[in-house]
Amino acid sequence: MAAETNEAPEGAPATQDGAKTGSTPANATANAATTEKLTSAQLKAKAKAEKAARRAQVKEARATVGTGPPAQDKGAASDGKGAKGKGKQDGQQTQSKGGPPQAHRPSISGRRPSMPIVEKDVRSGIPDSFSHLPMAKRIPTSQAQKDVHSAVLAVGQQMATFALNDSISRLKATLLAFRKVIESYETPEGNSLSRHFVPHVLNPQIEYLTECRPMCFAMGNAIRLLKGKVNKFDIDTAEDEAKEGLLEWIDLLINERITMAEYAIARNAAQSINEGDTILTYGRHRLVEKTLLEAKHDGKIFDVTVIDDPFERGGQELAKTLRHAGIPVLYSPNLGGLRPKVAAASNVLLGGEAIFANGSLHAPSGTADVAMAAMNAGVKVIVLCETINFDRDRVSVDSLTYNEIDPERNTADCFRLLFDNTHDKYITGVITEFESGGGNSPAQAILALLRKQEDPLID
Amino acid sequence: MAPSQASHVPSLDNLIKSFNSQSLEASIESLIFLLKRRQVKGDECAKATAHILRQVVAKSKWRDVDELLSRVQSVGSRLVRSAPLEPVIGNVVRRVLGLIRDEANEDRNADDIGSEAASDIQSLTPSTTPQPPRPRPTPIRPSPSVLSSGLTVSKSMFNLLSVKAPSESPVTGASTPLSQAQPASVHALRSEVMDGIEEILDEINQADDQIAGFSDIQIHPGDYVLAYQPSRTVERFLVKAASKRRFTVIIASLESPSPGSSELSYAALRKKLNAAGVNTINLASNGLMAYIPRVNKVIFSAKAVYQNGGLLVDSGSCVAAQAAREYLKPVIVLCPVYKFCPEDPSDEVSRGELGSPGSYVSYANGSAVDALDVENTVTDYIPPDLVDVYLTNL
Repeated sequence: MAAETNEAPEGAPATQDGAKTGSTPANATANAATTEKLTSAQLKAKAKAEKAARRAQVKEARATVGTGPPAQDKGAASDGKGAKGKGKQDGQQTQSKGGPPQAHRPSISGRRPSMPIVEKDVRSGIPDSFSHLPMAKRIPTSQAQKDVHSAVLAVGQQMATFALNDSISRLKATLLAFRKVIESYETPEGNSLSRHFVPHVLNPQIEYLTECRPMCFAMGNAIRLLKGKVNKFDIDTAEDEAKEGLLEWIDLLINERITMAEYAIARNAAQSINEGDTILTYGRHRLVEKTLLEAKHDGKIFDVTVIDDPFERGGQELAKTLRHAGIPVLYSPNLGGLRPKVAAASNVLLGGEAIFANGSLHAPSGTADVAMAAMNAGVKVIVLCETINFDRDRVSVDSLTYNEIDPERNTADCFRLLFDNTHDKYITGVITEFESGGGNSPAQAILALLRKQEDPLID
Repeated sequence: MAPSQASHVPSLDNLIKSFNSQSLEASIESLIFLLKRRQVKGDECAKATAHILRQVVAKSKWRDVDELLSRVQSVGSRLVRSAPLEPVIGNVVRRVLGLIRDEANEDRNADDIGSEAASDIQSLTPSTTPQPPRPRPTPIRPSPSVLSSGLTVSKSMFNLLSVKAPSESPVTGASTPLSQAQPASVHALRSEVMDGIEEILDEINQADDQIAGFSDIQIHPGDYVLAYQPSRTVERFLVKAASKRRFTVIIASLESPSPGSSELSYAALRKKLNAAGVNTINLASNGLMAYIPRVNKVIFSAKAVYQNGGLLVDSGSCVAAQAAREYLKPVIVLCPVYKFCPEDPSDEVSRGELGSPGSYVSYANGSAVDALDVENTVTDYIPPDLVDVYLTNL
């Protein structure tokens, strides 16, 4: 809560100078779309004027760069892999792989010395047994690298303060910020966008975001796709064309994998709710909320039990929203009495932060306990998750493999992990936006599902 | 109802102190008050019950055993009804009743040797019970062969557990009421019963230490022990273990994270453990699955153990036990023998007791108060299959 109040002033300066969307990622996209168009149009006009002149130079220079690109290309490719495999924590690694020595390097190393000190202070209280886990941290905007775009700065601050919390809103904010980055990008002389953009412009942004808070899996996926997209551009592609292509691609990604996905999942999941059901849910998840409201909108009559995490209290908001929509809600502020409550439910709907290749669910701490209690009581456990959240490379068997420490509760006096890991045997089904027939697939089938469904965004 | 009590801070200690200054009835009422308001709860209930029954034996007018039994029973059932989810009260009442019957039986056997066995008294019990509401006053008593009042605590405990179910007892039915107990022996009986209750009190007081004696068997060096809402029993257990072993205690609880208080919870325990060189980690989390892979064993104490081995616990312990089961980590339950109930858990027990929602949804928050049905469950029932070890004071 405190975080949110702090976030506003920090977001504000960023909004001024660069993009108006500095604040939009936090909120909705509805108005973002309008403001964006304006700014993007302006920027484009400006860029076009400059670029027309420069394009000729670039073409000239290309002959000289000819030897450079292969090496840089490799760097970018391995970088993509780095993000894919390590997206979660290793900003440094991405950095060392991705960035051939360039102008911005000195500034990083210039900032570095101060970082360990800060880091030590913050992390020193973490109990030894959990010290391997990453933690979000707030970097004063003044300390950020100068290469970081103002829109990204704002998003980073919002992530560090948990104003942007769940994976999809973080992803959306990131993509919109990257849109700004692309819009304001100008290929320096003697370079081409497909070779220069990722290592010199995009990577510093990613590093910064990762430093603010470990990337979520959806962000890792989207960045991998974005880098793939950039690398696919022919070296001769005109900068305008490439930028246009990237911007379109980002819009498409947001539309298909976020907006439409949300709609499709809510519709599918709402169909799984029957008249007279008692739906139990844990905490507050966007998709679950949408689903329940959608089902109510369809005229179904059902009860909801909201079990909350007293350290987040998102469930309280959900309970209020549902109650105002006319759904009878029983609100339990903690996991007490979980067994009888779960046993009385006909369905458990859970929202997921990510799903791993082995089918296990990465979700807010406490989800696993609810899912397990439900399965033991013989109640269906249905997970709602967009496919952009699926991680097809990594597996996690316990909650200590990939997790995050709550930055506000990070000492032995008061310690908390943000997520836990639900084994796939405690999940009856996953509802995603893919798969036409109801979209209800067991967790194990996720990989198959992803493989079967050729990702339309890659090519 | 208990005006003399109004000036005091209501607590068990004050109540016990006030026993001498106020009438028996007033004391009983005060205790019922405390129980109803949950100002006496958990382990304190057993002590409180023993104390008040001691007063009943000492102060009330009774001429023979029957009268004493019925008095104890009526007071006992009032106490039980005032705190239906504290089965320990019923246990102590049963213990005291059994004790009285034993003593009476001994007297009578001394009077006319060779008369019918003590089980006579048993059949008396139900007929003399004026209020049936107490969940079946199952007579629990030591087998007739053990009659000396000078038994050691642990021995009498053992016999308590080994008693056969009443239906199996051989000579039920033919009842010869105990009314022939001589008035002269009333004094002797009174003092013997008082001694017996004193012993029960001692046993209750010593139970924690006795259980703590097993700590170094269960806790090994380097362990990560998850202590769920450590009660006094668990605290003593851990502190004892800390004197011999180096391990890490992870403390979890369901307590409301109201600002300031959550940081300070279990501060005393943590201080003690840290002083002994044992690391502690205070978890601020409801869900425990995330931490269980790190944990070697889960320890908590029970409020009561039912006949089927199921447990009545503080809510949330069930989450801990369930998570431990998932990772096959042992669940150790500390439960003194006086918490063993000769009953099966009722539906009410498995549904859990509801506590005040005020700490989660404050009354100042009008929109929430209007909109929400808040259910803050404060007790849980744990089925026996989730428990690996019951550690008692025997």
